[in-house]
Amino acid sequence: MRLINTVIFLLAGLFLNPLPAKASNDADNDYQLGSGYSLGETGWRIGGYASTKVELPRQSPWQFEVSDLSLFLTWDNGSRLRFFSELEAGDLLSAGEHQWPSTKNTHFEFERFYIDTLVNNQLSVRLGKFLTPVGQWNLIHAAPLVWTTFRPVATTNLFSTHASGMMLHGSVPIGERQLEYAFYGDDSSDLDPHLSKNPFENAAGARLRYSFDDTLQIGISFANFALKELPTSRHLLTGLDIAWTYKKLELSSEVVYRTSDNTQPANNWQGFIQGVGHISQRWALIGRYEFFEQPNELMGQVGLFGIAYRPLSPVIWKLEYRLGTHNENLAPDGLAASFSILF
Amino acid sequence: MRIAYLLLITALTAWQPVDAGEPLAVITSANNPLSNLSLDALKLIYLRKKPMDDEGNRWIPLNLPLDNPLRRGFSLFLFAVLPEEQDDYWNIQYFNGITPPKVMASEEAVLRFVAMTHGAIGYVHKQKVDSRVKVLLTITLPTTK
Repeated sequence: MRLINTVIFLLAGLFLNPLPAKASNDADNDYQLGSGYSLGETGWRIGGYASTKVELPRQSPWQFEVSDLSLFLTWDNGSRLRFFSELEAGDLLSAGEHQWPSTKNTHFEFERFYIDTLVNNQLSVRLGKFLTPVGQWNLIHAAPLVWTTFRPVATTNLFSTHASGMMLHGSVPIGERQLEYAFYGDDSSDLDPHLSKNPFENAAGARLRYSFDDTLQIGISFANFALKELPTSRHLLTGLDIAWTYKKLELSSEVVYRTSDNTQPANNWQGFIQGVGHISQRWALIGRYEFFEQPNELMGQVGLFGIAYRPLSPVIWKLEYRLGTHNENLAPDGLAASFSILF
Repeated sequence: MRIAYLLLITALTAWQPVDAGEPLAVITSANNPLSNLSLDALKLIYLRKKPMDDEGNRWIPLNLPLDNPLRRGFSLFLFAVLPEEQDDYWNIQYFNGITPPKVMASEEAVLRFVAMTHGAIGYVHKQKVDSRVKVLLTITLPTTK
């Protein structure tokens, strides 16, 4: 709560400092889908994304959801400070085989809420609530930015997807390319009044990602953390992620390995590999294989096949089918379709 | 007859597109102490990955409209892709609160904004540069036939 109060106080100060006058009359300020709406020359911008989905699991009733309505509020007036927040209304409207359309599951949450201070071109300091830098999927998980409605288990199951505290991040030149880095410390139990699902108790971690060229990026992630869970356990997580593009083919893979001192199983592997083939400018075919170790079960495995249609860059329709073994708890068989838009 | 034939050939040759480069100037305000810029730095500035100049002031990169031939040539030269092929990159940046370079309506608008705004950086045809701005880099765009 203290963190939120501090940030609100800082924001109040920002409101009182409009942008310096600039020759802006010639700017092309028309609203464009997928880039938000700029509030004049104040430095404030509002935008977000929305998604809706239908899931038809093989062994349970179908369900429809307006699954996300996320509002972005950013402030950047050209100084060294930047503010960003994402307020999400989850499960805004849901309906199902045995349920009339209802808003009873609606919940609101600050997914992200932070201030970045640019120290120099290589270093920024982030204070607030942010996405945990483990793998690439978690950092770009918004429905309009990913190719499937179902999220890979490995991108969410073994760690908290959000952290609250401080992060040092930026990029440094290595050879002719940039090495992106992030080092963070989390104290969610004291700092975040609106704990996300499966939150950290506390955590410390790092992520490095290097672009070998415009087509190949490799990242590694580390985290030492305790989750808000019983019995209390300390976990050590290591992750590797790769993204490679070749002509009209995209390949990506993420693997995480977690060891725990008081949780079963003590060692846990999860991962996926995904291929996306662009069959035309607007259509893509998606295939994915996932594996995930899980408590009291044999290792789950699933395959996913899907198709996606992007009539415009910020708009995507998806249809996919997932099928696997020992996957009932974490990634059940079934069909999913969704529509998502950045606005 | 031979003279007429030679005249015809000469005339046809003269009307073919010339494969000469189209010079483009990367400009900043005249009072900016910076005197030159590398292509790598320019690329990072336009990707919003190099937010500040050497003095710690924020860069404000400017673009021309999406369908402007100079914008398209600049994008091809710097990133080897057309502007619309960077949509995925900018969608991800937008998700993280970072917006693409500001779009100005014309080269004259770029000149005016750059002249009046410390840290602004843009590009115009070299022959349009005047004393209001300083040239950091000259790029020769290949002419498309």
